[in-house]
Amino acid sequence: MTTHWGQRAVALLIATFLLLFLVVPVVQVIFVAFQTPGTGTFTLVNFQDFFNTSLFREAFWNSLYVAAMSVLVATAFAMPLAYFTTRFEFRGAIVVQTLGIIPLIMPPFVGAVAMQLLFGSNGSINLLLDEWFGINIPFMEGLNGVIFVESIHYFPFILINLSASLNNIDRAMEESAQTLGASGLRLFRRIVFPLAMPGYIAGASLVFIKVFDDLGTPLLLNVNNLLAPQAYLRISSIGITDPMGYVISVILVGFSLLAMWVAALALRGKDYSTEQRGGGGLAKRQMRPWEKVLSYGVIAFILLLVLSPHIGLTLLSFGTIWSFSVLPDGYTIDHYQEVFAQSPQFITNTLLYASLAALIDVTIGTAIAYLVLRTKIAGREWLDYAAMAALAVPGVVLGIGYLRTFFGVPLPWSGQPLASWWVMLVIALSVRRLPYALRACTAALQQLSVALEEAAENLGAGKLATVRRIVVPLMVGGIIAGFVTSFATAAVELSATIMLVSRESDAPLAYGLYVFMQTAAGRGPGAALGMIAVLIVGVATYLSHRIIERGQRARGLADEY
Amino acid sequence: MSSCNSVLRAALFCAVTLGLVAAPITSQALEDKLVVVTSFPKDLTGKFKTEFEKRNPGVKVEILSKKTTAGIKYVQETAANNNSDIFWASAPDAFEVLKGDGLLQKYTPKAQGIPEKVGAYPINDPDGYYSGFAAAGYGIMWNTRYIKAKKLPPAKEWADLAKPIYHGHVGMSAPSRSGTTHLTVETILQGEGWEKGWALWKEIGGNLKTVTERSFGVPDGVNSGEFGYGIVIDFFGLSSMASGFPVEFVYPTVTTLVPANVGIIKNAPHSQAAAAFIEFLLSPEGQKTLLDPKIMRLPVNPATYAMAPAGFPNPFKDKSIGAAVKFDVDLSKKRYNVVNSLFDVMVTYRLDDLQAVTRAIQKAQAAAANRPGDDKVAALVSEAQALVAAVPVTEAQASDPSFAGIFKKKRKKKADVLPKRQAEVEEQWDNFIRKNYAQALAKAEQALLMAR
Amino acid sequence: MTGQLAGVSIDNVNLYFGNNHVLKDVTLEIEPGEFFTFLGPSGCGKTTLLRLIAGFGKAQSGRIRIGTEDVTDLPPWKRNVGMVFQSYALWPHLTVRRNVAFGLEERRLPRPEIRQRVDAALELVGLLELGERRPSQLSGGQQQRVALARTIVVEPQVLLLDEPLSNLDAKLRVQMRQELLELQRKLALTTIFVTHDQEEANTTADRIAVMEAGVIQQVGTPAELYDNPTNRFVASFLGTANFIDGTLSEKKGQTVFRSGSGIEIPLKPGQLHAVKGDGAGEHSVMFRPQSVVIQSAGAARQQQGKVTIKGAVRHREFLGSTIRYAVSVGDTVILVEDSHRRGEAPHNIGADVELNLASEQVILLSG
Repeated sequence: MTTHWGQRAVALLIATFLLLFLVVPVVQVIFVAFQTPGTGTFTLVNFQDFFNTSLFREAFWNSLYVAAMSVLVATAFAMPLAYFTTRFEFRGAIVVQTLGIIPLIMPPFVGAVAMQLLFGSNGSINLLLDEWFGINIPFMEGLNGVIFVESIHYFPFILINLSASLNNIDRAMEESAQTLGASGLRLFRRIVFPLAMPGYIAGASLVFIKVFDDLGTPLLLNVNNLLAPQAYLRISSIGITDPMGYVISVILVGFSLLAMWVAALALRGKDYSTEQRGGGGLAKRQMRPWEKVLSYGVIAFILLLVLSPHIGLTLLSFGTIWSFSVLPDGYTIDHYQEVFAQSPQFITNTLLYASLAALIDVTIGTAIAYLVLRTKIAGREWLDYAAMAALAVPGVVLGIGYLRTFFGVPLPWSGQPLASWWVMLVIALSVRRLPYALRACTAALQQLSVALEEAAENLGAGKLATVRRIVVPLMVGGIIAGFVTSFATAAVELSATIMLVSRESDAPLAYGLYVFMQTAAGRGPGAALGMIAVLIVGVATYLSHRIIERGQRARGLADEY
Repeated sequence: MSSCNSVLRAALFCAVTLGLVAAPITSQALEDKLVVVTSFPKDLTGKFKTEFEKRNPGVKVEILSKKTTAGIKYVQETAANNNSDIFWASAPDAFEVLKGDGLLQKYTPKAQGIPEKVGAYPINDPDGYYSGFAAAGYGIMWNTRYIKAKKLPPAKEWADLAKPIYHGHVGMSAPSRSGTTHLTVETILQGEGWEKGWALWKEIGGNLKTVTERSFGVPDGVNSGEFGYGIVIDFFGLSSMASGFPVEFVYPTVTTLVPANVGIIKNAPHSQAAAAFIEFLLSPEGQKTLLDPKIMRLPVNPATYAMAPAGFPNPFKDKSIGAAVKFDVDLSKKRYNVVNSLFDVMVTYRLDDLQAVTRAIQKAQAAAANRPGDDKVAALVSEAQALVAAVPVTEAQASDPSFAGIFKKKRKKKADVLPKRQAEVEEQWDNFIRKNYAQALAKAEQALLMAR
Repeated sequence: MTGQLAGVSIDNVNLYFGNNHVLKDVTLEIEPGEFFTFLGPSGCGKTTLLRLIAGFGKAQSGRIRIGTEDVTDLPPWKRNVGMVFQSYALWPHLTVRRNVAFGLEERRLPRPEIRQRVDAALELVGLLELGERRPSQLSGGQQQRVALARTIVVEPQVLLLDEPLSNLDAKLRVQMRQELLELQRKLALTTIFVTHDQEEANTTADRIAVMEAGVIQQVGTPAELYDNPTNRFVASFLGTANFIDGTLSEKKGQTVFRSGSGIEIPLKPGQLHAVKGDGAGEHSVMFRPQSVVIQSAGAARQQQGKVTIKGAVRHREFLGSTIRYAVSVGDTVILVEDSHRRGEAPHNIGADVELNLASEQVILLSG
């Protein structure tokens, strides 16, 4: 009975957290969607208007199209990387996995500037193509540009989740197929990939929802016939407070929930957990020389493509003037000096905020995953849905909601408004990034056989001890993946940040970037700051991969014979 | 109201005189902190912060950089428990929004030598809620490498940007996103008249490569060479040049000089420091700081221009800058949101259609030029042009308060029931626009076929 | 459903995991159609060897041939071997039928043939009606049968079974191993079975290879291994054994084994093949507990060719059909199994007894 009580308490705690820091602030803002403009009475007429408006219908279909295409393209990027690094003895697998997550760290503004400088209609690639062949490829124009950038930006979600899933497959599953004559891509398609489905679907649904709801990329590419930018433009226009912005927010939240529900349905009733975990994942095979050349070639090409924003960023951060030319006119380290001289607090604040937020995320994520998959507490799925709904809440809406909800509450010790306390920024970041951690934790737990926990309970371990000593250690790969994703993306979060920063000394890096990128002279230092963000996240990712790898090797060796 | 005013003035006067009397020990009289919410870039704010702190030791200036819209939201949302002192931004309309919400504190600066108007625009808020400290005007900047590579001439007037050679080479920000862009749109509407003004904007709109979300997106795009020409506020152009980018900037004949403003937020916790800050901005030293190569804004004190580098525009001397249009602030205010919304519906959200129809008309025109005297083709082209140019709202309607009110949420009374909802109106406009653009496209294509 | 009969020959295979020498000079010849078992404690390398035959892992030296084909460098999917995994490794995302059909689909057989062969295989294991279920909906024994059906349906040249019965309960295990054997006989399939359970090995195997520490200790039929173990490990791994250490000496032209505690056992020349060189130094002999006859002291009738050893009962276990005594002889303890008949009184603990041992029951071990 006591264990039950404990689970309930945890569920209640999380529910309170979500209610306080997600539901209430968001409802504070989006209730406008249900008001008659002007009079404030309840109405659904705004939704009727939405569906009657051809611009919005178009935006809706465009958003769907862009999200679906981005999933496809992102899969094409992620699949080979995940496949090669998990299936073969691969020199530099950790490096590939680490580099593979970097695109998630697209620092706001500078990332788009770098992409334009490389792939824009007058960017490096097109200038070269024009010089050599007299052609111009519209990589960055319209919806194609959005799909291109989004799939580069978000494909790591698939990479991370798919790799984690692949690493969790019982080796015998694959070997039995091999003895039956399957090999190579066929084996992957028929056995390995289906078994990694939970991870793939987790990643793909994240990409879908994220792209569907994403604001930054379309705005920076100046594409506005999508839902999220429509919402944003209508919420944040000077002087205009159009309820449509909030209606679109409600629709974004609703649609994201629907997408998650569909993903959950797709996985329902399929027991993908593997009884004998600890085979150390798939057997890694040595590659033949020509295979090596081919796979390194493919990987190098993909990495070059997905890292191009960062290559551009590097050039930008060291370049003097880069304008209508293939490469910058000259190189300098002045931008870095300026950043370190002026704003070191941006970097330390970011490290602090992002790691705290990610810590909160994996804690709550693990707890929710456990409650959903392992307990029968009524309404437990709603915790999952609510947490995932954060994915669909535009950062601006959350930011405004926080100001509305917490600004009137003074801190007991200083009397300063609660909303302007830096901890609220951490909480906002953690709420924004919770879905990433949650999906990673859920996928990890899904692959974990209940028998392992039952064994522990059978040996006298209570629920809490079982979670602490068995579940969490076995989930550690997924948890770290979740931590990294949350950390990495929180480190460059802008929209909520910009609403909540109330003091420059409390500001994180994204805010610094924003400040730099408001001026012509700030482009170089902005890029330098962006590079620093990327490096911080890159190092953190690399270290956590090392930890995962070491853990697997320790387990793997014991099983070799 | 007036008694209230005089009390306030007296209080302020006292405060300021105290500050002046106590000049040698100034810092004693001021609070130890000043919180400034601003949309200005770091290059500008940092410089003023340093200079102000140097002159007022003991006062720590905290700069909160937010884009204008977010800054307004921030001040609105935090009003209940306000801890910001100064709102400092370009667009006068941002201040109008705050003023309308009763979130600004009246303050009349003491600084001497500042005229009433710059160009045709009053420098200070006539109601005394905010003051101009610098002037800025919209103009055209271009990337010299870009235009050389594409063999294009510089564009010096708005009408130039409507020429077929510039198709796909121009960038601008939407008026709904940027208060200063709004002023440029409004300036042309006032200068050319409602119908002709919109016709020109659509011709320019049809040449746009992109409508950027941020106003800085335009200079950014020109600096990168993403597009060749940008409709930008002067300091973006001037500071880009000063930063070494291969760009140039001109003021077209028709432009409005607009003051960049500063105001004290209601219930400011550090009101004396706030007043001191405004006075510093308007002081000769503060005005001179505007000439810093990274800032490059037009001082509002004509005397400061004596220290400006050669070639720096001086609107107080060169009457051609910003004086061609007598800017009607009231008119602008009345139809503010309608103009923004119209621009978005007709240009921003239908840019692809507008580009296509504009291109088709330009081609048809070129083809028709080879066949002078073919009235049919010419008639089709001008029909197409008329269809594109048509505006779904008349000038009178646009400034009718009951109609314009649809685009604002805040009502004076609950009983003010609106005739329609914004989304409904916009959908009607959108239908009108799409139909017109489609018909115009068909006519232009037909004309092109006939001309061939 | 028979593939062509093929044997497996393993030639001088060495395999290391890092510094760990996991398989040492392994050489084996497995006959076509034979039911062959690798028996040994966990960690002895038996599964590693099995996996090598399947194509998983790579030996640093040595060759493996299946039939006439050298498969050493072939990947698993190019070797026609079937393997049943300890965990069965049934794919949870496929139905039973799709699981079984998998290997045939990989071989690009026409659909009708696949259907017919899957039906036949499922029928063979008695699961025809469960074809549309998912593996998670089956019991352990059913999963085992599916795994088996999935493997044999492709008619492999060799069937490899990696402790396939270890996840089943005892009763099912006995039943399954009989089924397995019947199936093997029916299909006449060369089968290699890995187990650590000597009973499982004895009841199924034609021949057994006993492995320990990466070395094949002895190969033979179950009876050969039981009766003529070549070393202490094999002797003790297959059943209970008494070991006595001592030296060899010549007495009246006959070789006699003498232990420290004074037990003397004369050995015939036929029992001495394990002796190398002049036979000097320490030696051990082994005999099974049931080879010893136990009698109360004094009641002994000296029997021709039998050694009599005096001792005292130290411990006694009643096993039903037999009674097992531990008898102290000096400082050695000899285990004795005496068949039990109704009404017979057992020897009491502490009682002096005489043990009679026919010397031909004694095996001189080589190590």
